[in-house]
Amino acid sequence: MKKFDADAVCEKLLRKQAGRTSRRSLISRLGIALVAAPVFPLLPVSRAEAAKPDRSPEAKTAFARSAQTEDDTECTYWRYCAIDGALCSCCGGGIHTCPAGSEPSPVSWVGTCINPDNGKAYLIAYRDCCGKPMCNQCLCDNTDRETQLYTPQLNNDIIWCFGTQSMQYHCSTAVLVGGAE
Amino acid sequence: MKSYSGFRFGVVAALALSGPALYGIAAFAPAANAKDPNGLEPEESDTATIEAPQAGWFYVRGGWEVDGTAIYDGKSGKMKGIVASSQLSDMAIDPAGKYYYISETIWSKGNRGTRQDMVSVYDSQTLKLVTEIPIPSRILVDERKQNFVLSADGRWGFIYSFSPAQAVNVVDLAKRKFVKTVELPGCAALIPNPGVGFSALCSDGTMATVTDPAGKAAITHGPAFFAASDDPIFENFAYDKAKNTAIFVSYTGLVYTAKMGASPEVSAPFSLQEAAGYAPAVTKPLSVAWYPGSRQPAAYNAASGELFVLMHMGEYWSHKAFGDEIWVLDVAARKVVRRLALKEPVGHIEVTQQAEPLIFVNDEKSEGMILDGRTGEELHRIETAGSGVISVASGS
Repeated sequence: MKKFDADAVCEKLLRKQAGRTSRRSLISRLGIALVAAPVFPLLPVSRAEAAKPDRSPEAKTAFARSAQTEDDTECTYWRYCAIDGALCSCCGGGIHTCPAGSEPSPVSWVGTCINPDNGKAYLIAYRDCCGKPMCNQCLCDNTDRETQLYTPQLNNDIIWCFGTQSMQYHCSTAVLVGGAE
Repeated sequence: MKSYSGFRFGVVAALALSGPALYGIAAFAPAANAKDPNGLEPEESDTATIEAPQAGWFYVRGGWEVDGTAIYDGKSGKMKGIVASSQLSDMAIDPAGKYYYISETIWSKGNRGTRQDMVSVYDSQTLKLVTEIPIPSRILVDERKQNFVLSADGRWGFIYSFSPAQAVNVVDLAKRKFVKTVELPGCAALIPNPGVGFSALCSDGTMATVTDPAGKAAITHGPAFFAASDDPIFENFAYDKAKNTAIFVSYTGLVYTAKMGASPEVSAPFSLQEAAGYAPAVTKPLSVAWYPGSRQPAAYNAASGELFVLMHMGEYWSHKAFGDEIWVLDVAARKVVRRLALKEPVGHIEVTQQAEPLIFVNDEKSEGMILDGRTGEELHRIETAGSGVISVASGS
């Protein structure tokens, strides 16, 4: 089976870029960028800092208002705001752990979920575990900011088992990637 | 296959050779040749054939883990047969009515081994496999009809691919061979565009149009007209062949129409809720309203120009919630003309293209219901009808 090799793709891109760019032209471009830097508008950044995200109940989605941080085998667990499928936590795995014999997909769709304990938003990668039959336990389908296939990274229906030995869907994890603000 | 008459001869011969101990049974053997007083004649096994696709038929996918697409006659509620379709496959119906095309992916060793992507061609009357057309790849996702569409004349098949690069595979269905892959980054939901090629919705809010997909495959983008992340359009669009117009519904219930062509023209949207006498629905949390939603939220009857939309009460981002009512929208008049209450929430809706349309809805338990398109009256209820996406011949 043809596998998606991110390393090879990146290497190819970098080599191509390097082939087209001389060291002198790179230094020249960096110089221009440094000189022009003060002209770059800083306003949007300042505005973003000034406008703190509204985490009041009125600004939260229905999911975020009832999310909890205690039980990752329930669909209401805060990180599952856009998950679709069987929870690996109920299938012998964990929140970021694939059950024995299955394999995590290296690519995934993502969600931005709010932790109710600190009110902060985090980027969550919903990585499928692949290579075994559907686990069928703890089926959830949460849809905060979930869109359609034209924005695939925000769609939770796609089978994301790319670059794995088997493309059979087993269950979904919710890996914390980092803060989203 | 063994014929019954040969088998009967064998039994009689065996009994005749069995000796006096079996006389009582052997005496029965000649009676089998006599005419049965109840008119029950010996039978031969045979195989049915069915008619070519009919305007009153529904095609219902089994669901996530149930293979096959069942064909139901809407009038009688009876099953006509099953088209062999594997998990995560997509079906398209030959407009000439001769074939069912299944775009599917299988592996040489069940859940592993060599991946094989293909369009399997089935005769529409025998439902037997005619041939397979290998293709390089396709998307693995469920619940959508827009990942496999045909040109109006049935010559070309367009199969959406995600590997995870977004592309469309073009298949020549007349020559039964794969032609080429057209890369289409940031776009999905294939829309028929007769005489041009096909179009698609894109994540920058535009519609892309691919002209001459089997040849030069020139891609153009129209102006942005929808908010792909903030108020996405459901991929489950409707299409009016006679008017060559696509009809879209967004998560908040904005209705757009697009006159297809080399440069599709999209109308200014109007609110579905407003068309029913309510305030337009919004994206803000805590604003409870009627929203469109479910897995297959809309179906269109071209004869009446009516769009049938599954609606539920909820907040924004509840776009997969099953529908509690069907709102029937007269698209040209921009008015909701009927609201049909459902006995239980349903996840898919389709409507026939007849002047007196029939509706098919199903729920997650696979229960199927056939309803009168005018009144919503339940005409048939089918247990384990299938929990997946629903199609009709020449459908929306």
